[in-house]
Amino acid sequence: MAANGTSVSIQDLSLNFGAVSVLQTLNLDVAEGEFIVLLGPSGCGKSTLLNCIAGLLDISEGRIFIKGKNVTWEEPKDRGIGMVFQSYALYPQMTVEKNLSFGLRVAGVPKDEITKRIARAAEILQIEPLLQRKPAALSGGQRQRVAIGRALVRDVDVFLFDEPLSNLDAKLRSELRVEIKLLHRKLQNTMIYVTHDQIEAMTLADRIAVMKGGVIQQLDAPQTIYNRPVNRFVAGFLGSPAMNFVEGQLEAGAPALFKSGSVSIPLDRYAFDGAGSKSGACVFGIRPEHIAFGEAANSMPFATDAAVEIVEPMGSDTLVWTKLGAHNFSFRVEAEKTLRNGDPVRIGFDPARASLFDSQSGNRM
Amino acid sequence: MADHAVPAATPSGVARADASGPSGPKPRHVFSRRNIFLYGTLIVVAVYYLLPLYVMVVTSLKGMPEIRLGNIFSPPLEITFEPWVKAWSQACTGLNCDGLSRGFWNSVRITVPSVILSIAIASVNGYALANWRFKGADTFFVILIVGAFIPYQVMIYPIVIILREIGLYGSLSGLVIVHSIFGMPILTLLFRNYFTSMPEELFRAARVDGAGFWGIYLRIMLPMSLPIFVVAVILQVTGIWNDFLFGVVYTRPDTYPMTVQLNNIVNSVQGVKEYNVNMAATILTGLVPLVVYFISGKLFVRGIAAGAVKG
Amino acid sequence: MSKSERPNQIFRNLNAKIASIPMVLTALVVFVGGTAWTVLYSFTNSKLLPRLNFVGLDQYYRLWATPRWLVSIENLLIYGVLSLVFSLVIGFLLAALLDQKIRFEDTFRTIFLYPFALSFIVTGLVWQWLLNPDFGVQSVVRALGWTSFSFDPLYNSSIVIYGILIAALWQGTGLIMCLMLAGLRGIDEDIWKAARVDGIPTWKTYLFIIIPMMRPVFITTLVIIASGIVKVYDLVVAQTSGGPGIASEVPAKYVYDYMFFAQNLGQGFAASTMMLLSVMIVIVPWAYLEFGGRKRG
Repeated sequence: MAANGTSVSIQDLSLNFGAVSVLQTLNLDVAEGEFIVLLGPSGCGKSTLLNCIAGLLDISEGRIFIKGKNVTWEEPKDRGIGMVFQSYALYPQMTVEKNLSFGLRVAGVPKDEITKRIARAAEILQIEPLLQRKPAALSGGQRQRVAIGRALVRDVDVFLFDEPLSNLDAKLRSELRVEIKLLHRKLQNTMIYVTHDQIEAMTLADRIAVMKGGVIQQLDAPQTIYNRPVNRFVAGFLGSPAMNFVEGQLEAGAPALFKSGSVSIPLDRYAFDGAGSKSGACVFGIRPEHIAFGEAANSMPFATDAAVEIVEPMGSDTLVWTKLGAHNFSFRVEAEKTLRNGDPVRIGFDPARASLFDSQSGNRM
Repeated sequence: MADHAVPAATPSGVARADASGPSGPKPRHVFSRRNIFLYGTLIVVAVYYLLPLYVMVVTSLKGMPEIRLGNIFSPPLEITFEPWVKAWSQACTGLNCDGLSRGFWNSVRITVPSVILSIAIASVNGYALANWRFKGADTFFVILIVGAFIPYQVMIYPIVIILREIGLYGSLSGLVIVHSIFGMPILTLLFRNYFTSMPEELFRAARVDGAGFWGIYLRIMLPMSLPIFVVAVILQVTGIWNDFLFGVVYTRPDTYPMTVQLNNIVNSVQGVKEYNVNMAATILTGLVPLVVYFISGKLFVRGIAAGAVKG
Repeated sequence: MSKSERPNQIFRNLNAKIASIPMVLTALVVFVGGTAWTVLYSFTNSKLLPRLNFVGLDQYYRLWATPRWLVSIENLLIYGVLSLVFSLVIGFLLAALLDQKIRFEDTFRTIFLYPFALSFIVTGLVWQWLLNPDFGVQSVVRALGWTSFSFDPLYNSSIVIYGILIAALWQGTGLIMCLMLAGLRGIDEDIWKAARVDGIPTWKTYLFIIIPMMRPVFITTLVIIASGIVKVYDLVVAQTSGGPGIASEVPAKYVYDYMFFAQNLGQGFAASTMMLLSVMIVIVPWAYLEFGGRKRG
């Protein structure tokens, strides 16, 4: 039985299509009222997992509990879930009101109850003026609101979102992102949210599950995932601009040293995982925003000289590309700083903020 | 002449087959040699295609003496509707001398239920194949599609036996079943492809909303797929109305469909050949599909393109 | 009611299975069962009624020794090859003409396609009348002065099959044109732009770029024409009734006549099995190419 306070519990879930394994022995416990984001590149199995939770796909192995009840073989409607789809999936021939009430009418909910629930959902989502319109007459943002409303009227404990903002333009996306966050605060429902957008994941989630190849790579709070990625994939997938990776050798000792060409970085401030340091090929990763340059660099535990190769102004700040050893290396500076190609710069960082990965396994050291 | 671009052909939104518009090189002058050649060829070919229809109509409006003297392309000197009346209500097949009207009504009684039954079966079938795949379903579907290429002659006799066993051989109901069977491959394919092209999320949303197999079909899918139903109706009405082989095999003389009766009237060896009556009868038989064709326009094209290209 | 165990597979999607019963019955009983039945009984000496009295390949020996069958096969080959070639060529040329951004495209297409809406019976009877030597084309041309002009395919056994071919092409090329046109429209407009930038003449673009790109369309069209050729029946019945003599007989008519008039079911079954065989020769390689390569998808 699932533990108390657990809303959705997935136990040893596997899904195979013929010989292809899509999801491999997944385990995931979602707490009551928690906002979980399933994040990963396309094809990683995140939407598939969501569809399994919804009951839209039959799983091969394992069990799914919702609110402590085994729903592994229940119909979607009997699982106590509401779902919001990427393409909104509004029934085109029905008005907004009929769209919202369709599920309730199918379930035979009394008329006045339906009216009450629609009124409440429409109020929360501010779509009252749209109730008599057809989906074709709505904007993208309005459609997505209606789609959320359809989940809302079902009065369920668990909301499933399948990339709900992907079809919207950037501005609307950030607006609705905030609304979803507010909605979650207001309703206190469990929400499982699939996306490939790391900003959505970082801003919305209580915990993020980063997925790849049908396996959850890391399940943790957004800041932990960002600062202490468990492997090179997670490190590279999160963060924009992406983390710098420098390949080289780790030499164990006191202090341990990372060497790549002529560069040698002391790792005395780096917190190794349980196993400690071990000599061998490894990858040194550090995020562009953790690098200081100019005067500030000299106060860092590690500093070196480099030359500017390319300058990419981004508006709010500027990304500067240089080389560390033989590897491309980028760092962020304020937009006001004027750097030109070929300018010499001094850069430095604190190895405590870095991540070291075993070259072979890709795992954090 | 100045650079004067010919306007592009009217945009065609309905037919998926030609949705993207003409793609050939762009002509420049209205009276260029190229255009004269182009339109000249098209008009000559068009005349060739229209000629038989024209000859049919003028022949049916002439009296027999005029036909014997004149040439088939000349317009009638004296228009008479006598042949049409005769073809409809007096022409003889065997012992029956009540004209094509009998065949017409037989064809109506065959076509209407066949169209409804075959489309009802195939649309549910295509929906099941598109959205509710179960193990083995695709195998039967492949057999069905491959079966569409088996010559009918191979299956004619076994069906005679089956119909005889269930007591429907020679009856209109038997023929309706036969049409539903042989319409199934193409229609199932048509509906399956259409339902597959609809967003899967809609189907999933309806399942989360608690609708079941029939609920989703009737309340979500059906209202959204009127165009494909129209295409299917066009396909079936023309196909079944034009059928000859099944009509001649599975019905009796008093239940013969129009095509069979027409052939018997025109190709009967007894009596004097009345070419004007024959042509009137021929037009009458071709009238229903022609009307369907001219009314449906692009949907007809879409129907045959959808049916044929994917088949 | 909580279903904690995997439910019985039979009851999963039960409604979908019920809805598929007609399809399953048709596929198994009629298509597979019917075909197997006919092939099986083609090895018997069934006459008026089907009887399981096996005579080996006797029916096939008799079939291939029957002049009428040999004429049928010869006709089918001539008709088949010519209608394949002419359908593709005319269909493609018409489609290419219509694809030149012309005015009245819809009108022309409507005209070229309308015969396809007519039945083979109607088609056959119209062309029977047009090719009537006493009143039709021949007499009209003679009346214009060429008194020695002779064109009477329906009464001349050596060319009668061409008379049927003319009618068949009139009825069917519109369909091929539509398929070809759909294929032409499916080609990326950028290809045309690229060819023009490279200075390739239009006809060369068609021949060396467009037609090779339309390979799938040509293959499906080929299959459609080919399976139609084998089935040709109504047209012959209406236009010539197989005459003069047996000059325009075709296999489909042979089958029908032996089954329902000559009361020689065994012959009919053997002949229809031969038809099945010839279709298989076309379909199996195509199905293999079309579905075999991309089974997973």
